[in-house]
Amino acid sequence: MSVLVNDSTTTAAERPPAKAPGHRRAWVFTIVAGVIALIVNVPLLNAVLVSFKPDGEIAKNPISLPTSPTLDHYANVLYASGYDFPRFFANSAMIAVGTVLLVLVIAIPATYAIVRLNFGGRWIISSASGLRLLPAIFFVVPFFILFSTLGLADTIPGLIAANTFLNLPLAIILLSSALGDIPQEIEEAAAVDGASIYRTLGSIVLPLLAPTMVAVSVLVFIFSWNDYLFALVLSTSSATPVTLGAANFITSTGIRWGDISAASVLSTLPPLLFAVFAQRYLVSGLSSGAVKG
Amino acid sequence: MPPTVAERPRSSATERRKRTTAAVILSLPLILFAAVFVIYPLASGALTAFQSSTLLDQSNEPNGIDNFVSLFRSDGFAKAAGFTLGFSAAVVAIEMVLGFALALLMNRAFPGKKLFFTLLLLPIMVAPALLGVMFRLLLNGDIGALPALLDSVGLSVSLFSPDSVVPLLVVLDVLQWTPFTFLIIYAGLQSFPKELLEASAMDGAGYLRSLTSVIVPVLKPVLFAAFFLRAIDAIRTFDVIYVLTAGGPGTSTTTLSIYIYKTAFESGDFGKAAAAALVVLVCLIPFVPFIVRRISSTGMEAKK
Amino acid sequence: MRRKAMALGAMVVSAALLAGCSAGSNGSAGDEGSGEGTVKLVAWPGPEGDAMSKVVDAYNAGQGEDDGVDVELTLLSRQDTFSKEAALMASKSSDVDIYFTASYNIGQFAPSLEPLTDIDTSAYFPVAAEGLTYEDELYALPLDVSNHFLLYRKDLTDALLSDPAAQAEYETVSESVLGEKRAPKDPAEWDLDDFKVAAAYFSKSENPDSPTEYGTILQAKNLLYNTMIWNDVLWGYGGNWEEDGQAALTSDAAKKAVELYADIYKNGWTSPDSAQAEFPETQAALQSGDTAFAIQWSAAFAALNDPAQSPDVAGKIAIAPVPGGKTHVHALAVSLNKYSENKAAAKKFLSFLASTDAMTQYAQAGGIPPMPEVLEAQAAVNPAFAQVSETIDENGFSEPVFPKTFQAYSKLAEDLSGAWVGQTDVDDALETANANLQELLG
Repeated sequence: MSVLVNDSTTTAAERPPAKAPGHRRAWVFTIVAGVIALIVNVPLLNAVLVSFKPDGEIAKNPISLPTSPTLDHYANVLYASGYDFPRFFANSAMIAVGTVLLVLVIAIPATYAIVRLNFGGRWIISSASGLRLLPAIFFVVPFFILFSTLGLADTIPGLIAANTFLNLPLAIILLSSALGDIPQEIEEAAAVDGASIYRTLGSIVLPLLAPTMVAVSVLVFIFSWNDYLFALVLSTSSATPVTLGAANFITSTGIRWGDISAASVLSTLPPLLFAVFAQRYLVSGLSSGAVKG
Repeated sequence: MPPTVAERPRSSATERRKRTTAAVILSLPLILFAAVFVIYPLASGALTAFQSSTLLDQSNEPNGIDNFVSLFRSDGFAKAAGFTLGFSAAVVAIEMVLGFALALLMNRAFPGKKLFFTLLLLPIMVAPALLGVMFRLLLNGDIGALPALLDSVGLSVSLFSPDSVVPLLVVLDVLQWTPFTFLIIYAGLQSFPKELLEASAMDGAGYLRSLTSVIVPVLKPVLFAAFFLRAIDAIRTFDVIYVLTAGGPGTSTTTLSIYIYKTAFESGDFGKAAAAALVVLVCLIPFVPFIVRRISSTGMEAKK
Repeated sequence: MRRKAMALGAMVVSAALLAGCSAGSNGSAGDEGSGEGTVKLVAWPGPEGDAMSKVVDAYNAGQGEDDGVDVELTLLSRQDTFSKEAALMASKSSDVDIYFTASYNIGQFAPSLEPLTDIDTSAYFPVAAEGLTYEDELYALPLDVSNHFLLYRKDLTDALLSDPAAQAEYETVSESVLGEKRAPKDPAEWDLDDFKVAAAYFSKSENPDSPTEYGTILQAKNLLYNTMIWNDVLWGYGGNWEEDGQAALTSDAAKKAVELYADIYKNGWTSPDSAQAEFPETQAALQSGDTAFAIQWSAAFAALNDPAQSPDVAGKIAIAPVPGGKTHVHALAVSLNKYSENKAAAKKFLSFLASTDAMTQYAQAGGIPPMPEVLEAQAAVNPAFAQVSETIDENGFSEPVFPKTFQAYSKLAEDLSGAWVGQTDVDDALETANANLQELLG
């Protein structure tokens, strides 16, 4: 069995070391990647800069570093503005983590049943994907009515359900594509050994799917952390997430640039931490390691 | 091709029943969730499309195809569809190419790789609704850093003038979402069979040739997945454009989502908004099975 | 195929079970309630929300105790408040008892609101109360008035008026812009032609010696609030939306009003970026010192005059009536949700809000209440109060209230914003806008 596994799933996480480039050439890639990373992050870097500037300086010195840096905007976000941001953050965290878990619990077994056990057939994947094609606005009012009926309006479980709804297609598409890449022989070998379908799924398939599960988790976490429209309609006060809380700095007398920048910077940190944590699995290419182990 | 599990000669009737039971049990969470949170909203939304449901008339009386008639009587919907398709095609094409290139670039060891990998993913972690506001500040001609920076090197730009606003929106979308295609393609590259690459290297094939003849074909499902996921989200583009232009000047940057949002929340015509969404769905759904087949090809085709 | 059928069957059965459980809990017509308990109220962030929050606190600690009512204020972002309310109304929700409304959407929201009876409106500006009356019933209590002013750099206009060389240059600019030599005037006396000449004079593209990059900033983004500002110009030229129920946007006045925007935009007397400008961009343009003057909302003045927020221009900005002498006026307001299940309690709080005491608290907390008496008494709180009072009396107009007023604002912004920035033909745009307005007028 180990021969079979090694043959078919050895991967090229890194470029073949046989052709390992010289040290100097490697630094070229560091510089290129650094420049690209800088460019795509200009808006966020600007937000970081602005978040430390007093109000007067924001309009005055667009590019310079803050001459008298302030933490006022962070204070406003965290406690001073009268908005309960710590709770908004807790709500967002519960919503995002809950959504990740629910999406995985629903999508993994179902995708396995669809792809491997021919359950329902591809039309389920197709229709699930089709759902994501509909603008969220289409569902906003029906969801609202449904949630009021079920008592889920303005609750964390309600927003978890809504975000699961939005992100299931993503998970099913990515998982079914990954499942397609896993050679079926492995599962057949397990079946020959007498393992039940559930055990095959749990101990053979899951580890093989791990990198994709991590990728899906990261994406679902990000998307549900960043959801705005559903949160707008489905929460009023007790389930308000950070994205919606930050919008309070868009006032009828203008945008409080410093405060909303600080809120944006802070609200980027949790998904970032999650991705850093998950990155170990993504970058080292868990796929090969897991199978061998 | 080896026989698949389903075709194995020793599968008996009990075996098949077991597999069916397992399939139902494993799908149960999805079925229950779909029953509660998909079928009802979908049916209710679809029903709304055939009802008179506005803030002024909440009778919800069936009104046949009135909503659809009013949708097509003015050119707003068609224009929004045209802009959305053009915009989506542009951004998805660019993001696929750049995301693929970035994935290939990052698919090697170099100093600082872990750090830059994370930094490259950072843009998708900023909520689009907030990112739009960040762009409004960054790009502001009076107090924004970018115009000030360009100004200091003698370049005077007006990013939001009617001629430059569409290219600007494309660039902003590419900046935010290339990391997404990059992540998916990169993840796909991680399970790329090494010996294939080595074999093509032994053949003496150039990098470009091994790219087109080995890497792309093998990665096809992943590329399709990245393309599809990005495409369906591009077609739904809303936040950043809405915050920056609200669809204008005129309707020149109105996407379908903005059109539907305005129909529902500004005009208060939920019936017409639902009709518009339904038309979008009906027009796009035929493409879905075609693409899904390609995404799950390796696994699914083996059984046929 | 069989499995497919099974899967589908399973879903339909579960959905049917669910539908059975959930049927019939919606669409009740609200309830008076016990007259006590929690009342939920929505507002948007900004001076109105801040002031309201203080009034609510005071009520809860004082009269609310006696009434047995506890008011809970929820702030939604400015851009989403009405969207959220529309979604709540469309689903006949009882979540919120008191909605945040305005003169411009009262017609659209009225079917979901409970008319307010027994409210004495004599203390309000008549224009404010009238703007909230729809089919002879009052659907909202006025809370805060908004109008426009010309906000201008007094240091720059003073310099112009005291420097003969600059005046000569101004006259040259005037000749090339209007074809006639006009001397500079005090901004309080500007008409729309003076506005145009001054915009040119204070722009580097026309006058390289100009102290500012651009004369003015137009708010030309496709946004309903920007229609309200353009309306000042339309009314200022003697135009109107409609005459006797007939849309009147193909008038000469309407054409002149669009052309004024387009001329200013195309000649570079406003930043090219003003194609996407609204309130915050206008503030930024004035704050940065790049722009000499703008037609802007009354609420903008405080921030521009605050040295902490606007170090470059604080103390240099002054207020004048909008050139042309007309300003849009609307009232932000509070309304009772028809589907509220605690109407009696909500009404207690609304009666409190309608009192001059409550509105005095509101003014002291930073709002601009629509009661002339309170504004006069509280002139010490905000020096702009006197001017607001005077302007609304003398220059204020309000667009007709009809069910689709809100849509009309949005539609006009959509139809005209291209022409404002010279992207589409003026006559075509007005033609389209007129037809659409006619349809919305019904």
